[in-house]
Amino acid sequence: EAEAEAEAQIDSELDAQAKYNKDTEHNNHNPIKPYHERSWKITIHTLGSTYTRQEQNEMRSKFSFLQFPGPVQMKHPDDEYLFIREVELDAMGGAVYPRHCKGEDGKTKKELIPENDARPPLACYFGRVLGNGTLGRNWRGSNRLFRYSLKKRTYLGPTSMDSELSLIMTNLAKVQKGSFAFDPFVGTGSILLTAALRGAQTFGTDIDLRVLRGRNPNENIVSNFQQYGLPPPELVRSDNSIYHRHFRKHLPLFDAIVTDPPYGIRAGARKSGSRRGDGEVRPVLEEYRYDHVAQTRPYAVSDVMADLLNVAAMTLVMGGRLTYVIPSMLDFNEEEDLPRHDCLKVVSVCYQPLQTELGRRTVTMEKVKEYDDRKRDEYLEGTWVNGPQSAEKVANIRERLIEAAKKKPGYEEKAAWRKQKRKETKEAKKRAKLEGADQGVNSKSPNSNDDSERG
Amino acid sequence: MRLLTHNFLKSNVKGTENGYPLNIEVTTINCEESPLDKLFLLNLLPKVNYPALRTAVQQISQHCVPPLPEIPEQLDVSDKESNQNLDHETLKNLHRVLFDVYLIEGWLVCPDTGRKFPVKEGIPNMILHEDEI
Repeated sequence: EAEAEAEAQIDSELDAQAKYNKDTEHNNHNPIKPYHERSWKITIHTLGSTYTRQEQNEMRSKFSFLQFPGPVQMKHPDDEYLFIREVELDAMGGAVYPRHCKGEDGKTKKELIPENDARPPLACYFGRVLGNGTLGRNWRGSNRLFRYSLKKRTYLGPTSMDSELSLIMTNLAKVQKGSFAFDPFVGTGSILLTAALRGAQTFGTDIDLRVLRGRNPNENIVSNFQQYGLPPPELVRSDNSIYHRHFRKHLPLFDAIVTDPPYGIRAGARKSGSRRGDGEVRPVLEEYRYDHVAQTRPYAVSDVMADLLNVAAMTLVMGGRLTYVIPSMLDFNEEEDLPRHDCLKVVSVCYQPLQTELGRRTVTMEKVKEYDDRKRDEYLEGTWVNGPQSAEKVANIRERLIEAAKKKPGYEEKAAWRKQKRKETKEAKKRAKLEGADQGVNSKSPNSNDDSERG
Repeated sequence: MRLLTHNFLKSNVKGTENGYPLNIEVTTINCEESPLDKLFLLNLLPKVNYPALRTAVQQISQHCVPPLPEIPEQLDVSDKESNQNLDHETLKNLHRVLFDVYLIEGWLVCPDTGRKFPVKEGIPNMILHEDEI
């Protein structure tokens, strides 16, 4: 009976999908087949552990009770099911209790460690794959998430957030139809876009006018929204460090604030004000005022986060959520180093390892207390429990990684090799260009400037 | 920039407390209808400064084709309960003026200091110059 119910549910989903396909422009490579004809496979994910093919098949056979009627097809089946066996992982993404012990080179796995192998998993998950983040295909033969992949976006920048993480963030922030979502460091608008996809009205600010306006009227934030048929965001060029000076005092306005704050030099964290160290400000002559490009100065990460949390506490409705990402290296301690605010409570911290020493944390906070205007300085000063050194841990990570790489043995050889490679590529390109140019000219003059003979 | 945003922007040049609401000078304006999102509007109304909205509508109405609808001269939007009793026509008009009018090029002028904040390609530039902070 449960089977019949499942079958009925899948059939009704298929009907809904058939209607969706008719309404969308996407080509349907696999026409909708009835349930009992659909090919299927089960993919096994065991992060941190390796299982032989035979061991995996044993896992698969445990699901034979599902009795999928269609044929098994490993390549591009109509339906893909996923079984995830979760074990405890360390900061680098390896198992805390590995199944196999490592070989001499530290990599190859040798014998089984029986005690570890016998440990029960943290959890097991089983479900059907609806969409795959990168290039995978789902059961309709087209990829829903791929549609939103950055590869298809008309306007991108070096700080654009990948669509998967944006979708996760807006989910964590509970962005939904009717929400008012705000991104104070909107950049190219990639996070706001996913908020709009979820049915929210969106509002974004940034201090960088160039990134707000995009490359041209056909390649900017608004054109990205138009690409997906979404209502356009409201955009303002303003400075989040002085939010209260750009915007009048208002009742809590936003249901969600979702953002990727700038962390240092590469991302260009800036705030309004003179760059001069002596604090002296040269007045702007009236006749130049409207063309004057306002000076901005570096914005310390400790202040970026303090201001962000304070603006969130001030402008979020009660129960509203702030979700942000921070890069962090191994020295980051979640208990002590996360910024805090009296009005906000940490709801979740999701850690994603990226490289050996670098990871990314997605932090979600919820407003639990009304904001008190009189306490502004108190709130700001209470941001870092361990002092601004915590902020230093997330600032300028790129530069720190380069410094760390420089200290490793063999760095100089590698750097010299890279330099040589670049030189060779450059010369090869030059030669190819000249050869092409020569072919266009029938006679070679004896005094021809043959650059390829140089150095 | 739509009137929704304008309702919250202010000028704080050299710390002036009288920089709200900003006066609007229109160069280019667009109107694009969108469906009424009643839930969102009712959530938003208590936070809107109604007199500022009305003034803004009056300042830009002449530039709009078709002209903007009339909204009530006075309206107390602070109470969510009574807002729900507003008639459909009023809600539609409020939606229209808040969401459907786009200032593409123009200026937002500080009522106190006269400082003009440019609006270009629909984006207001509120950054203060270093001598205005």
